[in-house]
Amino acid sequence: MERQTYDLVIIGGGPAGLTSGIYAQRAGLKTLLLEKEIPGGQVNEAPSIENYPGFIEISGMELANKMKEHAASLDLPIENEAVQEIIDNGSLKLIRTTGEDISSKAIIIATGAKPRRLRIKGEEEFLGRGVSYCATCDGPLFRGKVVAAVGGGDRAIKEALYLSNIVRKVYIIHRRAEFRAEKVNVERLSKRENVEYVLDSVVEEIKGEGLVNSLVVKNVKEGTISELPVNGAFVFVGIIPRNDFVDAEKDSHGFLVTGADLETSIKGIFAVGDCRSKNLRQVATAVGEGAQAVASVEEYLHN
Amino acid sequence: MKTEIYTTTTCPYCAMTKELLDKENISYIEHDVSVDEEARHKMVQKSGQLGVPVTMINSELIIGFDRKSLKEAVEKAKKAA
Repeated sequence: MERQTYDLVIIGGGPAGLTSGIYAQRAGLKTLLLEKEIPGGQVNEAPSIENYPGFIEISGMELANKMKEHAASLDLPIENEAVQEIIDNGSLKLIRTTGEDISSKAIIIATGAKPRRLRIKGEEEFLGRGVSYCATCDGPLFRGKVVAAVGGGDRAIKEALYLSNIVRKVYIIHRRAEFRAEKVNVERLSKRENVEYVLDSVVEEIKGEGLVNSLVVKNVKEGTISELPVNGAFVFVGIIPRNDFVDAEKDSHGFLVTGADLETSIKGIFAVGDCRSKNLRQVATAVGEGAQAVASVEEYLHN
Repeated sequence: MKTEIYTTTTCPYCAMTKELLDKENISYIEHDVSVDEEARHKMVQKSGQLGVPVTMINSELIIGFDRKSLKEAVEKAKKAA
């Protein structure tokens, strides 16, 4: 079944997609935004954001709500379908969703990314039973307990900081000795008394009975193996883009390759935010791309 | 219809689950398991889960913010009522 044709369909409602939605509505484009899960996307899970200008400190959920309200004030239509496939018929693209098929002249892909898994024994079994990818969601359940944060990037360090406010003790397990996260947060973490560093180490197995009770950890430098008693394991070891449904050019990690105008290898299909191949994934960069892509869409539609 | 939801205040998926139930005009009892230790134990006992949200609609258990399962459980409970 098919319905009206849109000028622009935006797939994904995080900061990049919502910004595109705001610009597109103001440009008078006939626009639809598809968000299968939660408007604001991954930002919702950030305990606090301190590098988005205009907000000295704001929780991710609050910032997501503000963006959502901004889009709603412009009557941006949002539907909760997931996209299964895009069929490129040149000037008109067909989007197959979990609901109706939708056709649009242009598409902006803003689907973001999901947490990468460790893919080790016990991870699936104890998911939601001590294994979590969201400290702001599940952290409060571990009040007074011992947990591990796994990873060494921005997200791992921020979430470890958040966890250290709640739990009795946080082990931070990182495969290298250096952290690539923002220095300001690395320094903050080093001052926390209930944080213990387990460096040059990887988690090999998650063990428990019903709920998690230990991690098998290997020191990669020395080759030694130890067992760390913990009640929870919070995993932040990078992201995987959500863009399986589109057949445009991707880099070796699966992120969509675009030009400076943010157009993918398929004419009329643009990509913004975390699903795009780039160096820095921040709210600030996502928002800029969201705006730029609409300008490119307008030019594309005009020609 | 009896609906209970186990949440933490900082969990965005809990907020989305409540928003969905509100839209469906479903009244529910909320347990904030970040402060209510007894409810936390109960949640683990009933669901085996140490993660939120956990929603119980009549006897049906929905783990996480799963729009489809939540809607199906709501429809089923509405029909039964």
